[in-house]
Amino acid sequence: MARNRKNQSAAVRFGPALKASLICLLIGGSGVGYVWQQNQLLELGRQKVEKEKRLNTLRVQNSQFGRHLAELQSPRSLETRVKELNLGLTMAQPTQVVRLVDALPGPPGAPHWGALSPAALTRDGIQRQTERHYAKRQTTAPPGP
Amino acid sequence: MIQPAQFRRLALLGSLLVIAFAGLGYRLVDLQVVRHDDLSREAAGRRESTIIHPSRRGDILDGRGNVLATSLFVKTVCADPSLIGTNQALVARAIAPLLRMNEIELSQKLQLRLYKDRSGKVHVDQYVALKRKVTLDEWERIQATMKNISFGVNEKKLSHRERIFYRNLRQRAIFVEPVDDQLRVYPGGLLAAHVLGFTAAQDKTVEGNVVTDLVGKDGIEAAFNSALDGAVGWRQTENDHGRREMVLFREEDVAPRPGLNVALTLDAGVQDILESELVKGMEKNAPASICGLVIRPKTGAILAMAALPNFSPNQITANTPMANLRNRVISDTFEPGSTFKTVVVSAALNEQVVSLNDVFYCENGLFSFAGHTLHDAGHHFGNLTVEDVIAKSSNIGAAKIGLKLGETRLYKYIRDFGFGDLTGIALPGEVRGTVHPVKNWYKVSIAQIPMGQGLSVTPLQMAMAFGAIANHGRLMRPMLVDHLEDEHKQEVLRYPPQVIRQVISEETARLMVQAMKKVVQTGGTAPKAALEHYTVAGKTGTGQKPPYGSHKYFSSFIGFFPADDPEICVSVFLDEPDPKRYYGGETAGPVFKTIAERAAAYLAIRPDVAPPSEPPPKQPSNQAEAIAETVVSNPLTTAQTGRDF
Repeated sequence: MARNRKNQSAAVRFGPALKASLICLLIGGSGVGYVWQQNQLLELGRQKVEKEKRLNTLRVQNSQFGRHLAELQSPRSLETRVKELNLGLTMAQPTQVVRLVDALPGPPGAPHWGALSPAALTRDGIQRQTERHYAKRQTTAPPGP
Repeated sequence: MIQPAQFRRLALLGSLLVIAFAGLGYRLVDLQVVRHDDLSREAAGRRESTIIHPSRRGDILDGRGNVLATSLFVKTVCADPSLIGTNQALVARAIAPLLRMNEIELSQKLQLRLYKDRSGKVHVDQYVALKRKVTLDEWERIQATMKNISFGVNEKKLSHRERIFYRNLRQRAIFVEPVDDQLRVYPGGLLAAHVLGFTAAQDKTVEGNVVTDLVGKDGIEAAFNSALDGAVGWRQTENDHGRREMVLFREEDVAPRPGLNVALTLDAGVQDILESELVKGMEKNAPASICGLVIRPKTGAILAMAALPNFSPNQITANTPMANLRNRVISDTFEPGSTFKTVVVSAALNEQVVSLNDVFYCENGLFSFAGHTLHDAGHHFGNLTVEDVIAKSSNIGAAKIGLKLGETRLYKYIRDFGFGDLTGIALPGEVRGTVHPVKNWYKVSIAQIPMGQGLSVTPLQMAMAFGAIANHGRLMRPMLVDHLEDEHKQEVLRYPPQVIRQVISEETARLMVQAMKKVVQTGGTAPKAALEHYTVAGKTGTGQKPPYGSHKYFSSFIGFFPADDPEICVSVFLDEPDPKRYYGGETAGPVFKTIAERAAAYLAIRPDVAPPSEPPPKQPSNQAEAIAETVVSNPLTTAQTGRDF
């Protein structure tokens, strides 16, 4: 006999109710998720704008510090500061400047500083030695690219 | 069945609905079709906005990377008087000191104003610019002050509307322009003012927005404006009702491209030495103006260039005298006087018309030629060798060498040394000077020009000609810009040294150096220019300014050292020095000497003259002692300070 409204079972049918609940949950959840996502996007956007502003501020501050540094490094500023602090700095005179490179490892058997004659260890002697060394090194150096 | 009364009511209701829908339809068509363009534009105007990202103008650096010119972003502080109500005095009192403005003047600016638009409609003025070029620090202090300002009322007891008024007054009444302006700053003050030049603000339109930009007006700022000037960026976005940006709806977002940095060959230390010594020379000799140059002859690189009187590029105003703005090194011309003898003697030696030992009779100081009488400036020279003609600066000797050389060849060498042409320096405003073609010469010109009259040159041309002699006869193009670099210090373009031409042979240049060394020796015209630790080759010049006999002179000294392998060439020019003491050797020579001594120490140039009485060095006993004894002075110490304290 066909089932009709009169012959329906009294028992609750959970299937459709569950389906309906799931659909409602899905639709509702999607809505809430969408709103949450939009809020997140807006919030992140606000944070991004704030960080961009902060970055810009830091850049501006950086350029101000750069300017301040440049002012402090300017010759006039240095001169004033040296006078203020009474440091008594003077320019090195040409006679005070001795051009000399550090002792370089020579080829085996080459005389080292300690083995040089006293005449070679005078200022001019040392200068000649280093110049000779560099001249030799330059002539033997491989050609550059 | 529907009763007639019901039908009538139904018909009435239906009609009302039809009318209502028709009205709505009409309104819809009106809004969406008829006024679509206007309304959509208005909606977009309220919603969309274009934010301009200003580009930072590049820096100008010296050869060591020191900043000579830089840019700062600054704010333009504005006010909305409609939000201030009657609190102008209070607001003015609070922020006037921060804006460095007069309180009364500021209070007046904050008064409410009305204006009429084109249609005659009256509006409240919601914008008034209070102060331009306000730094970020100052703006932050203004914001803090406005946030804490007290209006003498208990705001908790006020109505909601009044509380909103005070909130808007604190937060929105004082604001800044959305696009930052730039302030050009020259940290060295007057340092290298003529080389750097200056900028001026100029409005330009970007994406429909007016942006104030900096444009170079002189010096490197003008010559390299296109490189220094970057490209502005922009962002097209949408705002909410509170004018806050909705990042989600950003469309175009183009970052700005900062301008390139221009790295000069100038050295701030040498520049400062030159300028400070020129100031002393100005005080001592009282000339109308003084200028100087320090160049590297081997490359043509300009280490320093200065002219006095000068100006502060940080404080350019309409009242700054035009004469102070002029870079006399490149834009002023003068009759060079005796410094020009080097040109004619170089030419004659190169053409092998004379040798250094050839003797010329100098007519005891009076030489009549082509109806004119040439003098030897108070001297009565008899026979002089060519070398002595240079050392003693004999006008008659130079004239006779010129006569022997001939007009055509003399003219050729004058042009070959670069006179009558632009040197090609990367600065605006350079002039060529005047060198007449041979066909326009007077008969006396061949005798006048060798002594530096009858033509005009710039100080730069003269210095570069001496640089050519120092550089084995090779004339270099003056080099002021070393390279361009981006904001990350990456090199974009390098300007290498350029040889223009070989003017004289290396041998001729060597002979000229030999002759010019005698100028600073006893018996020469400039013993006061001699240096203790270096051999100097140079030449004095004392040119009369026309009209001759007016006792106005142009005095100069140009020299280079170490003479046989020159590192730098220093030139000093004084325009109209004190007529009591006007010779180049007396006025410019000592200035050269002090500049050269300090520059040599600063640049740690190797001396080529042994000191006369040096104590014998202690002989070290071993390697460690040898190295310990030879303490090399740290060039950085002097490089950083750059001055003789």
